[in-house]
Amino acid sequence: MAAYKNTEELQQVMSELWDKIKADTAMSAELLKAQLVVRFDYKEPKGSITIDSSDGQEIKVYPGECDIKPLVEMSMSADIAHEFWLGKLSVPMAILTGKMIAKGPVNQALALLPAIKPAFAIYPQVYETSSARSSTPV
Amino acid sequence: MMNPFVFHSPTRIIFGEYAASSVVDAVREVGGTKVFFVTDDFLLKSKILEPVLASLAELGAGCTIVFAEVPPDSEIKTVNNAAKIAVDAGCDCVVAVGGGSVLDTAKVANICISMGGHLMEYQGLNNLADRLKPLIAIPTTAGTGSEVSMVAMVKDSVESKKLLFGSRFLAPDVAILDPTLIVSLPPRLTAATGMDAVTHAIESYSSVISSSSFTEALCLQALRFLFDNLERATVDGTDIEARSATLIASTMAGVAFTNSGVGIIHALSHAVGARHNTHHGATNSIFLPYGMDFNKDVAAPRYADMARFLKLDDSGNDEKAAQALIDAVKQLAQRLNLPHRLRDLGVSDFENEQLKELAELAATDASIMFNPREVTNDDLIDIFKRAY
Repeated sequence: MAAYKNTEELQQVMSELWDKIKADTAMSAELLKAQLVVRFDYKEPKGSITIDSSDGQEIKVYPGECDIKPLVEMSMSADIAHEFWLGKLSVPMAILTGKMIAKGPVNQALALLPAIKPAFAIYPQVYETSSARSSTPV
Repeated sequence: MMNPFVFHSPTRIIFGEYAASSVVDAVREVGGTKVFFVTDDFLLKSKILEPVLASLAELGAGCTIVFAEVPPDSEIKTVNNAAKIAVDAGCDCVVAVGGGSVLDTAKVANICISMGGHLMEYQGLNNLADRLKPLIAIPTTAGTGSEVSMVAMVKDSVESKKLLFGSRFLAPDVAILDPTLIVSLPPRLTAATGMDAVTHAIESYSSVISSSSFTEALCLQALRFLFDNLERATVDGTDIEARSATLIASTMAGVAFTNSGVGIIHALSHAVGARHNTHHGATNSIFLPYGMDFNKDVAAPRYADMARFLKLDDSGNDEKAAQALIDAVKQLAQRLNLPHRLRDLGVSDFENEQLKELAELAATDASIMFNPREVTNDDLIDIFKRAY
């Protein structure tokens, strides 16, 4: 069963998740240190979210279409994103099997992984309690 | 329970003495009519390429456009120049003869030749949506495995870093393994490129999350060929049997690692290579025992498998067998007269800031994702210092 029924659900959960990541001192410090613009593009359902920490001062979150040019773009299905945020996805295997596409300097995308790992603990609750989503057990 | 895996090996491999002299057959089979021929200046001026170019001449006058400007490390501007020349000439097939830098240049140039645009648009992993123009790769080292791999690296000299391109569509359509082309490869390069192949096999076998029975079988046989023949090929380049075995081994290890990933040793080598222009194979050779030592607590069963297959140990004890493999690798590099310290490759002493930068580079290298043991920046700094 698909983790997300529609774009609205997906966008809302990802926005809420990134707002919480932004509010976390440790995670936001790492993201600001990275100083990059990363876009996550989803399919099934379609959606996207752009995270901009390029000025090193503030993390800006832009759900949906956005004019800001990303340095790194990560593309995957919403189900893969769901598995990732649950901490259940093997990123190396997802890359080897083509389930994740990384456009741009891969090393900078990979540098984010340890920084955002603590969000795996936050995501299930965000997913469950999102007002846009019908209940689907994790 | 066995790990899930995907094994993909799209390259048709043709092996034989003087096989490259019939390259035009491979060109015709892939539908090529106008070839973009990529090599380097040294090879072009040597007699090695004469039979290859003679074969391509059968396509007709003006049907082979030669590009021999590839430097020792594949470069952004070289790739862009190559792509422009090929597109302007209307080439529909690429033939690359050379070492890793030549093959990687050809692979990345082929992206731009086939898809248009600038190579930076395609940087990353799994960015290509379709097949490229046919590419025939003929390695003259044994080697990088680039003749079968689904990755290519190009250096950005401005930023002193290596750009990674990875896609199943990057693997060449045909690899021609002709041992007669590597007979004159000097001993030092034979040894260094051979140790690159050894590293591919060991790291691929140790990638516990992504290796499979397919890759493991390839690694074991590759290692057997390399341990039995690399020294022979280094001492006597005309030993065609040894040259054949190392060439095949390098390709086997290439198929393996491109399906399973590598690990910490390649991450360390890429970092040092990007900043200090060291030879990739020689750098791998230096880091190999250190990386294996770091991994051995986790990877001992894997190292033990390889040690037993190579008949290095029959104790039945994994830790003992793992150490036997690490020792064998060190001894092989010594017998090959390869440097065992980074300073011997001309790397200047590391200052603390440099060490931190190198550790950052290595920690974010895609290779490190496949390492069997988690690595911290401090771990990497420690290895850099010890290998210096």
